[in-house]
Parts: sequence; structure tokens; C-alpha cells
Amino acid sequence: MAQQQQTAAVTALYVDLQRAINNGDHEKALKVSSKLFGDNPADDRAFHCKIVSFIQLGKFDDALLTMKKNQELATALPFEKAYCEYRLNRTAEALRTLRNLENPDTRCQELLAQVLYRLEEHRESLSVYRSLMKNTQDDYEEERETNMSAVQAAIQTFSEEPEEDL
Amino acid sequence: FPPDFQPIACKPLFFDVALSLADYPSLEDKLDQKKQGGGISSFVKGWLWGGGKK
Repeated sequence: MAQQQQTAAVTALYVDLQRAINNGDHEKALKVSSKLFGDNPADDRAFHCKIVSFIQLGKFDDALLTMKKNQELATALPFEKAYCEYRLNRTAEALRTLRNLENPDTRCQELLAQVLYRLEEHRESLSVYRSLMKNTQDDYEEERETNMSAVQAAIQTFSEEPEEDL
Repeated sequence: FPPDFQPIACKPLFFDVALSLADYPSLEDKLDQKKQGGGISSFVKGWLWGGGKK
């Protein structure tokens, strides 16, 4: 019975969490996911939500600290870790985090392209974007094209030999 | 003086698409647990109280 009460309470909190997410209320999402994760430190979903809440609130230091304290759970969130490093201008660390992945998913590749752009590794960034354009279908095609143009422009500006056809 | 204006390359627009991709995971299965985990007690509850609510 105690088990069932707990399950119902947890479910109720998840309902609250989903509502907060739907409303874009990241403060509330952080609060609820922290409560869930505090009650059950094995709850990887609550952990994931807590980290995303931190990111959405711009609290990248807090996100990294929480991941550092829970390294085992954090290994499942390399994208989030690298993104926080990227936003804290620890760009080399972000690159290392992303390079360590054997099979980076498209989110990690997207971030890798941005990291490479910031590191002025324009040609490699462009090649990551090219493969992304081929392999993704989402709502960010235009933004991706804009980013690709920026990379292309950087290549034209900083290198002697211009890149051939876009 | 003053020196002539000189053109410089402007910084191109660059979107942080990765931020848009840093989204919450799906909680669908977590929200369903009530139905799955209710078991016998929710059945009994439903039997006792279910008639009252439509």
C-alpha cells in the first residue's frame, strides 16, 4: 500500500511536471523535477528534466555541478553537458565531450558544428552541417541554412581559396 | 583627420539551434503509471465509488 501511495504521489508530481513543461514554466519544472529526483536519486527521467530546466533557465553552472555530482546518470546526457560547456565558453571542453562519443546523434552533431564554428574550424563545421542537412528533417532547416551561410562566409573571409559550390 | 571610413566584414547571423534541441524528454509513460499501477485497489475503488461519478 505504501508502495502504491508513493507511486500515485510520483505520478501526481509527473503530471505537475508535464503541465509546467507545457506552460514553459521552467522554474516550476525545476522545482518539481528536483523534488522527484530528491525523493528517488535513481530516477533518470527526473534527473534529465532537472538538467533541461537548468539549461532553459540559463543556469549552466548549476546544470554542470548537478551532473558532476551524479556522474553515472550524467553519462546518458552528453549533449546537455557539452551544451553547458559551450554556453560557459568552455569550448574546448565541449569539443572534447562531443569527440568522445562513438555515435553522436544529430543533436550532438548540431552542437559540434556550432562548437567548431566558434573554434574557427570552419571547414570541418561546414562538413558537419552538410551531413546534417542531408540527414535531418525538422523545424530548424532555415536556421541551419543560415548557420551554414555564416560558416561559408567565414571561410571566404579568412581563407585564400574560396570553397566551391555551396 | 578624421580618417576615412573603411568597410569591414559584418558578423553574420548565427543561430543557437542546439538550444532549441535541448528539450525535455517525453514523460508519457510516467503519466500513465496510475492506470497501470493501480491494480486491485483502484479496481475496488472503482467498484465502490465508480458508480457515483460519471
